[in-house]
Amino acid sequence: MSDHVNDLPEATEHRLEELEHGLFTSDLSVNEFLLVKEAGFHPVGLVMGSSIYHTGIQTRKWSQSQELTKLTEAMYNARELAMTRMEQEATELGADGVVGVRLDVNYYEWGKDAAEFIAVGTAVKAEDGVSRRNKLGKPFTSDLSGQDFWTLSQTGYAPQGLVMGTCVYHIAHRGLGQTLSSTGQNVELPNFTQALYEARELAMTRMQDESTRLGASGVVGVRLEEKSHQWGSHTIEFLALGTAVTKTAEAITLAKPTTIISLDN
Amino acid sequence: MTSSGETTGIDLTSLVREALSAHGSSAATTSTTSDLSIDEELNLHAIGWEAVELVSGYSVFSTPIGLWSWGQGEIVAAGEAHANAFRNATNRLCNEASTAGAHGVVGVHVERSIYSTHTEVSLIGTAVRPIGAKKVDPSLVFASDLSARDFSRLILAGWEPLGLAVGASFVYAPRRSMGTVLQQQSQNVELTNFTEAIYSAREMAMERMQSSAIARHGTGVVEVKIVEGPMAFAAHAVGFAVWGTVVRLAGESHRLLHPSMVVSLDDPVVLFDAASLE
Repeated sequence: MSDHVNDLPEATEHRLEELEHGLFTSDLSVNEFLLVKEAGFHPVGLVMGSSIYHTGIQTRKWSQSQELTKLTEAMYNARELAMTRMEQEATELGADGVVGVRLDVNYYEWGKDAAEFIAVGTAVKAEDGVSRRNKLGKPFTSDLSGQDFWTLSQTGYAPQGLVMGTCVYHIAHRGLGQTLSSTGQNVELPNFTQALYEARELAMTRMQDESTRLGASGVVGVRLEEKSHQWGSHTIEFLALGTAVTKTAEAITLAKPTTIISLDN
Repeated sequence: MTSSGETTGIDLTSLVREALSAHGSSAATTSTTSDLSIDEELNLHAIGWEAVELVSGYSVFSTPIGLWSWGQGEIVAAGEAHANAFRNATNRLCNEASTAGAHGVVGVHVERSIYSTHTEVSLIGTAVRPIGAKKVDPSLVFASDLSARDFSRLILAGWEPLGLAVGASFVYAPRRSMGTVLQQQSQNVELTNFTEAIYSAREMAMERMQSSAIARHGTGVVEVKIVEGPMAFAAHAVGFAVWGTVVRLAGESHRLLHPSMVVSLDDPVVLFDAASLE
């Protein structure tokens, strides 16, 4: 995460001040709330960052597979803005971390190139007063749910940060000759395969780089999302998102799981 | 994740037996209606509560014509209409629950629709009370959008719900000038007018929710729901609404539930769908 100047609106600081006087808000469900308590944390407030971002124009070549760097940059910047603002709010609250982070992109009718990037999560603080901030001295962020957060803490691992990598890739169209020659046959389409591979690799590598920067020993709960957003069928964003973790405590002997059959629907 | 009956220190069977016998014996008890599932009903009985009646509250509040199209800053009338509609609906819900002899309403479905001319709020939930408890004043009846299951878990952990806290705000986002639009056409830029509008709407909405929570002497708001974005009928007006259940520690300290780990035998969820590559 890059360092940004503190550019939160004044009203935010006022609201956060109120939160420091004991009231907490949280979008955690009751189960998650209880498990976060169980893990030794107390929620301090709902924190959020958002940015409405206009992505520029990028020309693509019809028959060439390539990364669309301008769009990648836009997706990165905008998410980074939203995430950093959320982190700032958490820092303001004196939180040790943010759990249950959701990172969304919403498109509205403001124009097809404008999108809202939003990061929402619940800031938490350790009840024993020991700081759980990450290596960079910032509150950790994590997209793990309250349930996963508790389970993770049972294994002696602690989240360090939400890491992501993204790549917007244009996959070449096949020429007429190629299409004709493969009609009626069982063949692999190497240009498609290769393009998808490369885009995925780029996204994954970028995510891993971020986790290395945090000194993490691993990334859990990785989700790989493929979205075309509004760019048409041959332009795809690959987004890799996960929580970087490190081992902080001695391995706790995990209770042997009980097998149950749920009576829920 | 479950918590077993032993660790919570509550004797489930005897409580349920007591509850069921109370049902059969008193001739004055009328039949009850509720949209709770069997599990939820059991959960309620396990903590010594019972469902009484399905109750609802509804309110429509009108907003002036032309309110949404032009202006600057907050759209005050829209925020007030939202708050009033919510307050009226909640009051009606609690009155109905109080008449039925309940102490609270759980599992409230919140449905809100905002149109250019009016704001509509509809609340439906199951009225509940400690088994056999006496009627209370409507002002003491709480409404909560937590499910009966969450409600009982919260009670077991030593917390109590106090009511719904709601906050909403609607703000005009200034239009960009034609020159700016053209200039930004090919660039990667943040649209600060929209970001700022969302931020100020959000600050006011959160502030309103928080002050309503403080007014109820709550120490927290859980399961906060967020609805935000431009209004469907006016692209240059952005709205931000939040609501959640206000809670407070009922006892002197939080009771840990000591969950035990289970492995569910449910079918795995398919995470990757090859068709998405099409």
